[in-house]
Amino acid sequence: MTAPVPRTRGSADRAAGPVAARRGAGPFAAAVTGIGLVTAAGTGAAAAWHGVSDLATAPSVHLVDELAGLPCDFMYTVTDTDPKAVLGVAAQRLMDRFSQLAVIAAREAVADAGLDPSVWDSGRVAVVIGSAHGGLPFYDEQHTTLTERGARRVSPKLAPLTVVNGAASSVAMDLGVHGPSLAVSTACSSGTVAIGTAHQMLRAGACDIVVAGGAESVRSRLLIASACQMRAVSTRRDDPAAACRPFDSHRDGFVVGEGAGLLVLERPEHARARGATVRAHVTGYGASSDAHSAVAPDPDGLGVERALRTALADADLGPDDIGHVNAHGTSTVANDLIEATMLHRVLGEHPLVTSTKAMTGHTLGAAGGIEAALTVLALQHQLVPPTANLDAPDPAIPVDVVSKEARSGRFDCAVKTSLGFGGHNAALVLTRA
Amino acid sequence: MSTSEEINALLVSRFGTDPAAIRPEVPLRQLSLDSLALEELRLLIEDRLDIDLDDIVLSSRDTLGHLVAAVHSKAGA
Repeated sequence: MTAPVPRTRGSADRAAGPVAARRGAGPFAAAVTGIGLVTAAGTGAAAAWHGVSDLATAPSVHLVDELAGLPCDFMYTVTDTDPKAVLGVAAQRLMDRFSQLAVIAAREAVADAGLDPSVWDSGRVAVVIGSAHGGLPFYDEQHTTLTERGARRVSPKLAPLTVVNGAASSVAMDLGVHGPSLAVSTACSSGTVAIGTAHQMLRAGACDIVVAGGAESVRSRLLIASACQMRAVSTRRDDPAAACRPFDSHRDGFVVGEGAGLLVLERPEHARARGATVRAHVTGYGASSDAHSAVAPDPDGLGVERALRTALADADLGPDDIGHVNAHGTSTVANDLIEATMLHRVLGEHPLVTSTKAMTGHTLGAAGGIEAALTVLALQHQLVPPTANLDAPDPAIPVDVVSKEARSGRFDCAVKTSLGFGGHNAALVLTRA
Repeated sequence: MSTSEEINALLVSRFGTDPAAIRPEVPLRQLSLDSLALEELRLLIEDRLDIDLDDIVLSSRDTLGHLVAAVHSKAGA
């Protein structure tokens, strides 16, 4: 066991404040009975897992017409599924792409869980889906229409397609869910917070089943132009497939991706009663706010440390219990060093750490959902996917980052961490079934 | 292509309407054209036929035949 390193200026208190208060509540193990994934690394849980763990194919990074002429004109795109073909014209016309990807993922997750929406108790089913930007691409498109063609050419569908809750409401309509459905929007931690919120709803008895995770698709010239101005995204235009390189010495920013990742979570007795196959459990959740900056993480990582310590306490686990971390690992200079240093401080050197973003892209509000699903698969396979493009590990990164090829191990518990613009931190603890 | 054929083509390609369900006497709501869809269809017809339908008032209780007649009156104006 690696003891937490004492820190000064009261930082330990700030990072560990709520833990004592959470102890004694007793862990709650929400059963993960289904997974749905739509990612640039593959659509469907099996394809996505193969994509991130095998690295047999190059990252699905493509030049995007909407981004032509920008310093970053590429992103990770989903190319192996056509929402129009899957959902049909009538259904997909009332969804922007992030909602379409969410519905495809939700259908897979529910089928994977062996649930039949035609017979379930729909009032006891909930949907919680995170997204950072919702239907921003349609907003961007319609703003162009307004300025170039006038107000009378603007679509009447702007509000229903662009609201951040579009994915949650679309999934609820598609599946016939009559329990609570809501969106979580905490920037790039949205998907993780959505799963944590679902965990709390199940624990409180508000529902028996939750479809939870994240969805995002920001093929928006407006947004990426701003991200370039912010210098947050990689501008490695000479080699886009190698641009996202978490924990590498030559990382220079994240690369945006699109996708959706959803879990079916159930109250454990509900899953047991219907004889469901349980893939894993969500046993701990923690969230925190940096109260520091609109974009930069707390330089000492105290906010995300607080979230992680809270999640560990919620699960009643210690650092030694955690064998794997699917890190936020965005490939920005600041995030990767701050996060890795925090992970080392809290968990020590033994967990196998990875960032799967070099194969999926940074899917912003979807990232937590996609990466939690991949963490479940890692627990099931007892295999940690490699961090792609990690050719020259940053010597300042103090944790054991898996690179080059997947590494097998024996681990019963894993952690998913997320950090979002605005200082929204979240962590999940997941355990083997 | 006639006005009717233009509208039918839009219904199939943009709204996923079953071609077999497209008949003049069918109320628009039976084609799953609610108030939002009607406004969207209005824009598409205006763009396709380069006409102005701003003063045409139709509800989903009206039939497809009513819609075609209203568009035809503007297209021929």
